[in-house]
Amino acid sequence: MAVTSDYVLPCGRDVEEVWEAIDLSDEHTRSCPHCAAVRESLLVLRDATAEMVQEEIEPPFDLVSRVMSAVRADVRRSDVVPLPGDGLARISTKAIAAVLRYAADGVDGVRARGCRVVEAPESTGSDPVIEVELSIAITALLVTHEAYDEVRRRVLAAASARIGVRLARLDLVVSDVLEG
Amino acid sequence: MSVAEAAALDDATLVARSRDGDMRAYEQLVRRYQGPMYRLALRIVGSTGDAEDAVQDVFLTAWRRLGQLNDDGAFLGWLYRTTTNQCLNVLRKRKPHADTELDEHESPSPRTRPDRAVEVNAQLDALQAALRGLTPEQRACWVLREVHGRSYDEIAEAIGTTQQSVRGRLARARAQLAEVMAPWR
Repeated sequence: MAVTSDYVLPCGRDVEEVWEAIDLSDEHTRSCPHCAAVRESLLVLRDATAEMVQEEIEPPFDLVSRVMSAVRADVRRSDVVPLPGDGLARISTKAIAAVLRYAADGVDGVRARGCRVVEAPESTGSDPVIEVELSIAITALLVTHEAYDEVRRRVLAAASARIGVRLARLDLVVSDVLEG
Repeated sequence: MSVAEAAALDDATLVARSRDGDMRAYEQLVRRYQGPMYRLALRIVGSTGDAEDAVQDVFLTAWRRLGQLNDDGAFLGWLYRTTTNQCLNVLRKRKPHADTELDEHESPSPRTRPDRAVEVNAQLDALQAALRGLTPEQRACWVLREVHGRSYDEIAEAIGTTQQSVRGRLARARAQLAEVMAPWR
């Protein structure tokens, strides 16, 4: 189907026809004043377009750094895990870590140290799942052999009851033993 | 990685590294394509401020959606599409009377060749003014095809229409622009 511009000249030709034949001026174009005039205008347009292609417009000098600042801020914000529900609410991994450390602290003789929280590969917006590595310091005299199970139980319970995410994996590391 | 090495890396490599969170790789992509995207945006939206904002949004969106890009080598086409969309959205949100806020007196191009013939500058200025008389979609079609040399297929996808419709819009844009350029014959 021929493309038309809907700009029809008094001679019956469409401007687009003149454009397509701009370099092969035929008998009609040479003799028709309407076509000749449009052809001249199109040649001016072609020249001006070539100038536009060559134009040396550079973006602002700080555009790259502005883009990269936005990207870095976005990466920081992405340290979050979805909360159960419509997937719109999210919680930072740091906030989750604080809750889990507090839960572990509730066990006699146990002090939570580092807590690293990552979203598990199988996590989805409707069923958020996390993996946690928790390092603890224990007070030798106070801690009992049940303490580790108790830490595990409380941390698991806090993740599901206080935050609403499923804890698929908890690596518990005793990183220090305190006297007293 | 030295600057020279980074400059030599192809898009697909940089895209794959960026997807793994390598921000230096992504910065190379931004450096490589900020120029053409900025020029495209400026020609479609007509004001430097809106063009800057659009390009910044495009590169941030692209970073977030790298995971959705199936063909790492198709990054540039995808950028053209995203930038076109972003610019058309900016124009849709603009109030009708806001055209007066465009950089009327500020030519989009800082003239870097002052010795150029005055007439050529005048023609280019006339073309820039004439572009503002087109509809946003017509303008996007014309700029993508005639200034940035993109394919009909790509333009159709960017505008969300058919190739035939792109050709029609281009023809109408060309006829309208030629009419405005007539005094320079």
